[in-house]
Amino acid sequence: MDEMIYTAMTGAQQTEYAQAINSNNLANISTTGFRADLHSFSSIPIEGPGVDSRVNAVVESYGTDFAQGSIQNTGNELDIAVKGSGFIAVQAADGTEAYTRAGDLKTQPGGLLTTGAGHLVMGDGGPVALPPSVKMDIGKDGTISVQPLGAGPETLTIADRIKLVNPDPALLAKGVDGLFYLEDGATADADASVRIEAGALEGSNVNVAKTLVNMIELARQYEMQVNIIKEAEENADAAAQMMSLG
Amino acid sequence: MTQALWIAKTGLDAQQTRMAVVSNNLANVNTTGYKQSRAVFEDLLYQNVRQSGGSSSQSTLLPTGMTLGTGVRVVATEKLHTQGSLQNTEQALDVAINGRGFLQIQMPDGDTAYTRDGSLKLDDQGQLVTSSGYIVQPGISIPDGAQSITIGIDGIVSVKLPSQTGTTQVGTIETADFINPVGLQPVGENLFVETAASGPATSGTPGLNGLGTILQGNLEGSNVNVVAELVNMIETQRAYEMNSKAISTNDQMMQYINQNL
Repeated sequence: MDEMIYTAMTGAQQTEYAQAINSNNLANISTTGFRADLHSFSSIPIEGPGVDSRVNAVVESYGTDFAQGSIQNTGNELDIAVKGSGFIAVQAADGTEAYTRAGDLKTQPGGLLTTGAGHLVMGDGGPVALPPSVKMDIGKDGTISVQPLGAGPETLTIADRIKLVNPDPALLAKGVDGLFYLEDGATADADASVRIEAGALEGSNVNVAKTLVNMIELARQYEMQVNIIKEAEENADAAAQMMSLG
Repeated sequence: MTQALWIAKTGLDAQQTRMAVVSNNLANVNTTGYKQSRAVFEDLLYQNVRQSGGSSSQSTLLPTGMTLGTGVRVVATEKLHTQGSLQNTEQALDVAINGRGFLQIQMPDGDTAYTRDGSLKLDDQGQLVTSSGYIVQPGISIPDGAQSITIGIDGIVSVKLPSQTGTTQVGTIETADFINPVGLQPVGENLFVETAASGPATSGTPGLNGLGTILQGNLEGSNVNVVAELVNMIETQRAYEMNSKAISTNDQMMQYINQNL
């Protein structure tokens, strides 16, 4: 049988992978700070003795879309949204520093500040810990000022400053936990120019129309690959008939 | 079977949960002391199908790999403890807390629960109880025949008795606060219970040490923002539709291969 059937099979299988990436974007349409994953197909020739015979289409991650998501006002003092480029530094489960755009912050009983997913938020020197307070306020540059418990409004003290960074997005890669990591485990320096908006959350940046069109396109592409598999089967059939005796 | 189907399914699940949260908020738009809930979404683990930087041959590296996300989940439904609007009811036993703090309630099993619902009543022994009949802590008894009840902003309860010219102090309502009120567990009946995440309760006099003041003759309404919830509902519904569209598209793909091969 002609090897075209394997080329088409790879095409169909890889289209399924692409559809999975696309569906994941669609599933995360309401995830705070979610950045859409991009995919692309590339041609991988099958190398062998002599001339390369077939070229497979293989899907690969094409990085992440770092466009700004829509900012929604929530009025909650612990919600922050990064405006423009920049990231909030958090501590990943293994203790290394990672970056996120999800600013739905929470306090732990000990006063430690975490994101909604439970990652510790980094401050000037390690994770941010807040003293018991009556009121807290997060400034445009991530400075957290608190009115400590038992003190009047005149004693506003600065507790810490959320570490905001602005590394080159090209150097960032999404880890398996959905956080962004710098290549080779490097950490980014704090950047004073990153601006945040308190009392607001940044939504997902998934472009719904684009994702739905992608979905249709991938579905049709898949059908074409299946048609080629069918074609290969018919060719083989015809060949077998021609060769049959009697 | 194809992964995309299961990924879209997680999207449907999450949107369904969010719709339940939105519906519960809308249902409680007139519940005294109700605090709005919010579904917190998180992307699920990513699978590394092909590692970027892996060797494509002895001397070349794959410039990009392929990671597949596996969907979304609702990681928490958190309560937003913002102040609800204060409504004047002119009832002597209605109290609202303006600021931080919770009323302390003794449950029938002896445990302490916390609430912002200050529509208090008297039971057959003259004790201050909630609408469900649970005793307010520390216990305060209103003597028989009291003509008027006054509750100060610091929680001091005083009554005017028929035979006296002045008022008599009968007790103090103390409120409790938590370092992380979001960590409190809602248990229904407008009550919350302490958890490891909320931290221990610290009780004190209303108006001192950051605790809110007590306002007699007022009730705190629900803090649900109806417009925001309706917009949330529309968004949830559309997101649900899109994810079900992803399921039907994948279904068609499978159907096509089944029929044609």
